[in-house]
Amino acid sequence: MPTMTSAKKKLQLQFAGTVLLAVFAGLFSYPEVLKFAPPAYNAISRLKINLGLDLQGGIHLEYKADISNIDSSHVDEALQGAQDVIERRINAFGVGEPLVQTAKSGNEHRVIVELPGIKDIEQAKEKIKDAPLLEFKEEGEPDQSTKDMFDQINKQAKEKAQKVLEEVKNGGDFSQLAKDNSEDPGSKENGGDLDFAKKGQFVSEFDEVLFEKGLKSGEIYPELVETQFGWHIIKFIESRGEGDEREVHAAHILFAKHDPYQYEQFIYKDTGLSGKNLKFATAQYSQGQGLGEPEVALQFDDEGTKLFAELTKKNLGKQIAIFLDGELQIAPVVQSEITNGQAVITGNYTFQEAKEIAERLNQGALPVPLTLVSQQSVEASLGIESLQKSLIAGVVGLAAVTVFMIIFYRFLGFVASISLLIYTALMITIFKFSGITLTLSGIAGFILSIGMAVDANILIFERTKEEIKRGRTVQNAIEEGFKRAWTSIRDGNVSSMLTAGILYFMGTGFVKGFAASLFIGVAVSMFTAIVITRTMLRFLVSDWIHERVWIVGIRKKDVKISNT
Amino acid sequence: MFNIIGKAKYAYIFSGILVFASILSLSFWGLKYDIDFTGGTLMKVGFADSVPSNQEISETLQHLNLGSLIIQASDGNIALIRYSADDDKTNDDVWNAIREKYSGATQQSVDFINSTVSKELKSKSLQAIALAIAMIMAYIAWAFRKVSRPVESWKYGLGAAIALAHDILITTGVFSVLGHFYGVEIGIPFIAALLTILGFSVHDTIVVYDRTRENLLRGSNKEGFSDVVNRSLNETLVRSINTSLTVVITLLAIYLFGGLSIKYFALALLIGVIIGTYSSIFIASALLVTSYNLMVKK
Repeated sequence: MPTMTSAKKKLQLQFAGTVLLAVFAGLFSYPEVLKFAPPAYNAISRLKINLGLDLQGGIHLEYKADISNIDSSHVDEALQGAQDVIERRINAFGVGEPLVQTAKSGNEHRVIVELPGIKDIEQAKEKIKDAPLLEFKEEGEPDQSTKDMFDQINKQAKEKAQKVLEEVKNGGDFSQLAKDNSEDPGSKENGGDLDFAKKGQFVSEFDEVLFEKGLKSGEIYPELVETQFGWHIIKFIESRGEGDEREVHAAHILFAKHDPYQYEQFIYKDTGLSGKNLKFATAQYSQGQGLGEPEVALQFDDEGTKLFAELTKKNLGKQIAIFLDGELQIAPVVQSEITNGQAVITGNYTFQEAKEIAERLNQGALPVPLTLVSQQSVEASLGIESLQKSLIAGVVGLAAVTVFMIIFYRFLGFVASISLLIYTALMITIFKFSGITLTLSGIAGFILSIGMAVDANILIFERTKEEIKRGRTVQNAIEEGFKRAWTSIRDGNVSSMLTAGILYFMGTGFVKGFAASLFIGVAVSMFTAIVITRTMLRFLVSDWIHERVWIVGIRKKDVKISNT
Repeated sequence: MFNIIGKAKYAYIFSGILVFASILSLSFWGLKYDIDFTGGTLMKVGFADSVPSNQEISETLQHLNLGSLIIQASDGNIALIRYSADDDKTNDDVWNAIREKYSGATQQSVDFINSTVSKELKSKSLQAIALAIAMIMAYIAWAFRKVSRPVESWKYGLGAAIALAHDILITTGVFSVLGHFYGVEIGIPFIAALLTILGFSVHDTIVVYDRTRENLLRGSNKEGFSDVVNRSLNETLVRSINTSLTVVITLLAIYLFGGLSIKYFALALLIGVIIGTYSSIFIASALLVTSYNLMVKK
């Protein structure tokens, strides 16, 4: 019969395919067997499993990106910029296979850095943090929230002053209180003592109290005195001289008033021009007569050139401030519109300093400020130990499951065990080819999936045994077993994959590694347990088995007399 | 054939006691969270010869005023030092203080998690569990859509979901007890374990439901619903136990040989798999019959 032979041919092809797959997966997962043939061995053993930090040691850092100063349409760009910059810095550091990625979590943007196999964690962190933050700012009013913040601080200062005044009035030690509380660095350590002074040496509100209020020696002025510096508690100690020569010896406790205009970071506002618009920076001596000052010359990229031109045009005659890492470097007054995209930073640098700044700027300025919010580190030896232990656990688990299957299902179990070995080799090969990072949890997921992988076979074989007992031939019963068990296998595995999918998208490292290997494991195991096991069984099982049902773990007397 | 459904009463009582005990333990003792969920720092320090007493270490660190400082000695001359601060500066200070006092000390690892991150992890974990249960319920209701007699398909989904909640509650309860008596902490790995238990347990339940569906579709009308369910349970019993055994074997391998880092992760899975197997045999299907009986009585 031609159909028969073509079916048989197809089966032979399928079996040959299975054997081929097994050999390839076996070689890729354990290339050591090819050691006798160095070229092949070298080619194959180059593929390595990408081990996670917890297995080879290293550090995982999570930074929060502060995007409050970035226009929402540029956020992604800025984060990408930060990622590139960190990558460049780490590469300069020479760490093997670092990973830098951005992630969004709720409303927060994060930059995640993983440095495997690194020895000096502190140095690496320094290197990442060291990234310079270059900002160009223009003059501007402090915004309302800044003003509110200062009002709040001043209110608290005044309340504190009032409290200390009450203490003084109730007989508290004036000089001790001054030492503890005063914000006047000049007099604080002397218990607030200001020594003798003539009229006009202090601000007018202060003078008024000392010279006009007729205080007696040792008397404390009963109210707070507000001046431009803040709130004062004033003690009149003594006076000497008369008329214009009169001098007063007084002491005070100052509670300072703060003003946004005292701080350069509040009087300049962001312009959108930052280090990310930088093309390159060089250190040079300023042009002019003789040897000039060391300075850092900047060249902007196209967008930066445009922005800088607009900025200089808008701010003619005003200051543009250049901040490096949050510190004001210079704030030159714009003389003319600059359209060539060039600027220089001077700041009393030595040439060496200028050179270092230029290098840092060239490696890249961070377009967003980053704060470290999470750190996990694993010492390398600990990672290796985890790897060895989990490998032992894997081998023990695999062996135990194999023994179990062979005891329970005999010949069928033996075939399933071979599928299981193929499954294991396939998984290792997939990990090697896909570059998926294998973490400790990933190995756990993998080992667990070995236990789950045989589940499909158990379902099928239980069904097969049932069908044999009902009187079907072994061959028939095997086919029936595969057919009938399919819906259970499908529904069960879909739900496992659903939970693995949810686990994966939940996002953290441990869970992700576990979910990925579990998901792949469930998918691959469906293939090996069904397709590969069936192909092998179809190929191996023929009429020889009918009189030997013990070989599938059934007693002959349990088989009902067949009527087919 | 075992009369499993007929003995459902005892299973309900047994599960009721376990669930009640778990709720009691959870409400009185709660769970011990690790820094994944509380935020803060965990520093592992190895000492040259032996770990100094907790008292001595905490005196060494006293001047730093660390909030909720906990020191634990661990295997291999290692001390685990925890505190609520989660910034680099404090960590450096702590390490410097230790290094000055104990010259042979080595810093094995420093992990810290900002409290906003940990809060977010906590809420995400709960969301993931709720989402998983909801999706599994929906999937089962869909997969069993063809069976609507005598019990509607959504009841299969509900039955599976109740069994799942049961498994998770009891596993969490066990860890609450372990936390109280042995200081076992739960973190992200525990959540991963719970979600895996969900997947595994529902897998088991589905196999039984699937057999019930098949028997219902082919069955004669003479057989009552509870008999069909009972027969299906018996037919899948060996498979349920064998599958669980293979998984238990592999988990035991991880628990015994896999090293400290994943020991409790494996334990959580182990407990969950055993409870899950029990609930798919004794609870999930019994719930179908109970809801059927209630419907008939009406």
